[in-house]
Amino acid sequence: MTAALFDVLEGGLLTTIQDRGRLDWAHLGVPESGAADPWSSAVANLLVGNDLMAAVLEMTLVGPVLAVRPGVAVSVGLAGADLGARIRGGRRLAAGRSHRLAPGDVLELTGDAGDRRTSGARAYLAVPDGIDAPIVLGSRSTCLAAGFGGLDGRPLRSGDLISSGTSASRIVGPELVWPDDEARVLRTGPTASDSPGAHEAEPRTLRVIGGPAHGLERLAEIDWRVGAASDRVGARLEADHVPDGIGGEIATQGVPWGTIQIPPDGRPIILGADHQSTGGYRIVGVVISADRPVLGQLRPGARVRLAPTDRATALAALRAQQDALLAGAAAIRDAAGWGALVDSAGG
Amino acid sequence: MAEPKASGPATSEPATFLPMGDAGLLISFAEKPGAATAERAQSVAAAIDRARTRIPALGRPVPASASVLVPFDPLELALEDAIGLARSAVTDAGAKPETADGGAEEPPAIEIQVRYGGADGPDLDAVAELHAMRPEDVVELHASARYRVLFLGFAPGFGYLGGLPAALVTPRRDRPRERVPAGSVGIAGEHTGVYPLAMPGGWHLIGRTDIALFDPHRPHPALLRPGATVRFVPVIDR
Repeated sequence: MTAALFDVLEGGLLTTIQDRGRLDWAHLGVPESGAADPWSSAVANLLVGNDLMAAVLEMTLVGPVLAVRPGVAVSVGLAGADLGARIRGGRRLAAGRSHRLAPGDVLELTGDAGDRRTSGARAYLAVPDGIDAPIVLGSRSTCLAAGFGGLDGRPLRSGDLISSGTSASRIVGPELVWPDDEARVLRTGPTASDSPGAHEAEPRTLRVIGGPAHGLERLAEIDWRVGAASDRVGARLEADHVPDGIGGEIATQGVPWGTIQIPPDGRPIILGADHQSTGGYRIVGVVISADRPVLGQLRPGARVRLAPTDRATALAALRAQQDALLAGAAAIRDAAGWGALVDSAGG
Repeated sequence: MAEPKASGPATSEPATFLPMGDAGLLISFAEKPGAATAERAQSVAAAIDRARTRIPALGRPVPASASVLVPFDPLELALEDAIGLARSAVTDAGAKPETADGGAEEPPAIEIQVRYGGADGPDLDAVAELHAMRPEDVVELHASARYRVLFLGFAPGFGYLGGLPAALVTPRRDRPRERVPAGSVGIAGEHTGVYPLAMPGGWHLIGRTDIALFDPHRPHPALLRPGATVRFVPVIDR
């Protein structure tokens, strides 16, 4: 049974339903999709007692305006970038927390975080039992390229109705706070809520395992900016002086999320969640799995550095991230008295 | 190209095994990419897919023109073990009797009806000019060949088709289009293919079809499957 929760008054810049994505269909050319910042979507889910990868709303730069339906009271988990979430005419809603919304409340994320300057691009909203959407090819994620999944494969717009598969008894839960110490374990800063100190002046670092093609070391010397054409498919990096001779074409091959492609013009494209399954540009490295959340939070204009790293560091960071998620999940579970409601964070 | 240092026994299996980041492994074949390497990639991917029932840390492999990407969970499977599994898959695939070319019966060709030229194929004249032939010769050549689906990628249901007549081999457009209509039939390099959706693209467009190449709600979402034979049939409906 599903429960209608919100009327969409405004869709926002790009708000989509995302879950873990379609991991098993790349051989047919289907993009992976899924939350661009898997850490933050997991935090949002854990805050309302869901599985890590339940379907959430992913909101980009300017979020939607959602009206809580009459007769509905619902807890929402908010995480990721602070897009200035508030109840219209009322209180501010911080990221990294769950909040209770009352019937008739209008939730808006205007993109203006006020004094809490945000450096992130994407916020996540979770509801108990996940956002309802049909499962297509094993996932509820929106495939924007091919127009399926989520809400008919498109972003939210005014007039849409957002439901959850929730049962009435769990629709309102305790108000919970993601433990900050857990977030700080993550060196390069995927945080449950963007810290006030982090802003565009500080470059974000993406750790990269180099190869197969050469050139990462030279690209690592450059202060990159995230280009305006960046989207869920990929972050396009720009710089005043782009090194020559690194880019080019190769025989088409499968490419994972985080792949750094260098086309002939030399400007790197870092593949994101909606990346094409195959690519034909030279590859100088792949962003480590633990830094996908950082990649997913890059906003146009942000400064980026590419930092070569090794496999041992990458795996230690990934393990630390999973441990932090598990520890945070346990802390929340204890605070909420949910017992076994939160599933294992193992996979 | 990959250096041969990480390769297997330097006998009949010149494959290299290189990590792609922390959660992927790329198996690449040394030979020039073509129908033979694409077919081999499919066999290796199938062997890895079979191994997934025993080893859930392996992801679904992505075969392409001369390589196979093998995603895996690096916290559950060591890189060395992933390479070992990939090596076995390459050996298994090589040991299997070849059925594709000489042996078993050929499945019927998938026929794709195409409106060539005009607004449906805005680059037909340019392609003809480039090869110093008439547009109708391009159509006849393109429609007379039998193509093989080498692999899928780039977009849902997009098949890279091999077997383009040498006289039609054409580089990509200098300026990619921002939007290519769904069903557009294009040529790029030694490949031809059909855009399943409206999307940006740099292939020369010579025609268009109404056939649905991809539908996520069908039991087999992609019309084209690797190994299948494809023919293009010219239609005049206006």
